[in-house]
Amino acid sequence: MRFKCGSLSYAGHADIPLARQLIWITLVQAMMNFRNIVTRKIMGSALLMSLSGSLPVLAAGDAKGLPQLDITTWPNQLFWLIVTFGVGYVIMSRLITPRIGGVLEQRGKTIQNDLARAKEAEAEAQEMRSAYEASLDEARAKGAEAASKAMSEAKESAEAAEAELTAKLAKKTKTAETKLAKIRDEALASINDVASEVTQDAVLAVTGMKVTKAEATKSVSKLTKAGAGQEA
Amino acid sequence: MHSPVEQFAIKVLFALNLFGFDIQFTNSSLFMVLAVLVSSAFLYFAMAPAATVPGRMQGLAEMLYEFVSDMVRSNVGSEGRPYFPFVFTLFVFVLFSNLLGLIPYSYTTTSQIIVTFAMAMFIFIGVTLIALFKHGLHFFSFFVPAGAPKVLIPFLVLIEVISYFVRPVSLSVRLFANMLAGHTMLKVFGGLAVMIASAGGVFVAGSILPLVAIVGLTGLEILVAVLQAYVFTILTCMYLNDALHLH
Repeated sequence: MRFKCGSLSYAGHADIPLARQLIWITLVQAMMNFRNIVTRKIMGSALLMSLSGSLPVLAAGDAKGLPQLDITTWPNQLFWLIVTFGVGYVIMSRLITPRIGGVLEQRGKTIQNDLARAKEAEAEAQEMRSAYEASLDEARAKGAEAASKAMSEAKESAEAAEAELTAKLAKKTKTAETKLAKIRDEALASINDVASEVTQDAVLAVTGMKVTKAEATKSVSKLTKAGAGQEA
Repeated sequence: MHSPVEQFAIKVLFALNLFGFDIQFTNSSLFMVLAVLVSSAFLYFAMAPAATVPGRMQGLAEMLYEFVSDMVRSNVGSEGRPYFPFVFTLFVFVLFSNLLGLIPYSYTTTSQIIVTFAMAMFIFIGVTLIALFKHGLHFFSFFVPAGAPKVLIPFLVLIEVISYFVRPVSLSVRLFANMLAGHTMLKVFGGLAVMIASAGGVFVAGSILPLVAIVGLTGLEILVAVLQAYVFTILTCMYLNDALHLH
């Protein structure tokens, strides 16, 4: 918020409580008003004093009047004003202002440089980041590829091994089966032989009849077939 | 009791002669010299580190510089750049004269009408010459308000001319009167405090009141000292702007 204080306008301060600001503003304003009233009184009476006896005052520099209106002091003050202000101007224009201006300019340059450097560094960091991200992506892709390759290889080899194993097993089974069948056939054949021999013997013992081996075999195989048929 | 305006009296400190000219050194001369010395020494030593990150004193000196350079830039523009050292010197000279004058027993050179009037006249003549050199005869159009009815022009020109020539008077009297009144007022209250206290007894306690008033007024006078230096300088900038750009 803005305050008006006499001819002064004052922008409110955000960090100071409003009440305290108002108190100060009122105080300063009251003092300013008081000062203005007193100023008018003093100026009036002082000028009146000087003017009432103006000529003697000006001539003699009477202490009763304003000493400022004693023109005899004027040339001397003018001289010293010109000298001091002149020297002051030379000092300020040659020494002080170039110095301060130089420092400010240098600071401005430093800030500009630092900002530019910061910008550069930021761009560099951005670049590094994107490069890093790219390499990361690449590595990820490579990894995924390697993983899938390994997986398919493993799958392939596993399949191959399985197929091999299956083939082996099948072969073994087949061999075993043929062996088994052979053995069974042999066994069956020998059973018939034994049975026909037993039959020959049994018939001889029971009836005293001699049966040829062919007959015995024939009847045995007949019975075996019937047995097998009964069984079935 | 002393007169409250006695403090403005010129006192000769020692006699001095230059090729037969009387250039006696007075209290007024002393404080003009001091204003230049103190301001130069302060600005010189404050800027001695010339640090990129300024300390307190350097910050203060830079603030003073930037305050005036901003004033010139915003009131006169880039064309005011060559006059910046003069405006800066003017501000610093008036500011330090005003502030040094507030030290008890010191002297206020800016309470001398001849000092302020000489500065104002120098500015007035300088600004008029700048305007004449820059704009030639076209400068006189400055006194003719644009778009005024023809009948009124003579009167308006008269008013403009008068107000133009009153500039150095108002510029110098403003500073002079403020310094004169402030110091006189402080002296009046000081005298009052002494007068009441010298009555003795209970009155000594009563002298506290004018004393408190002096403390408050001294604070106000510091404000006025800075403010008047600022007003003097900114008006100079405005006159310079008028001279460089007319209207």
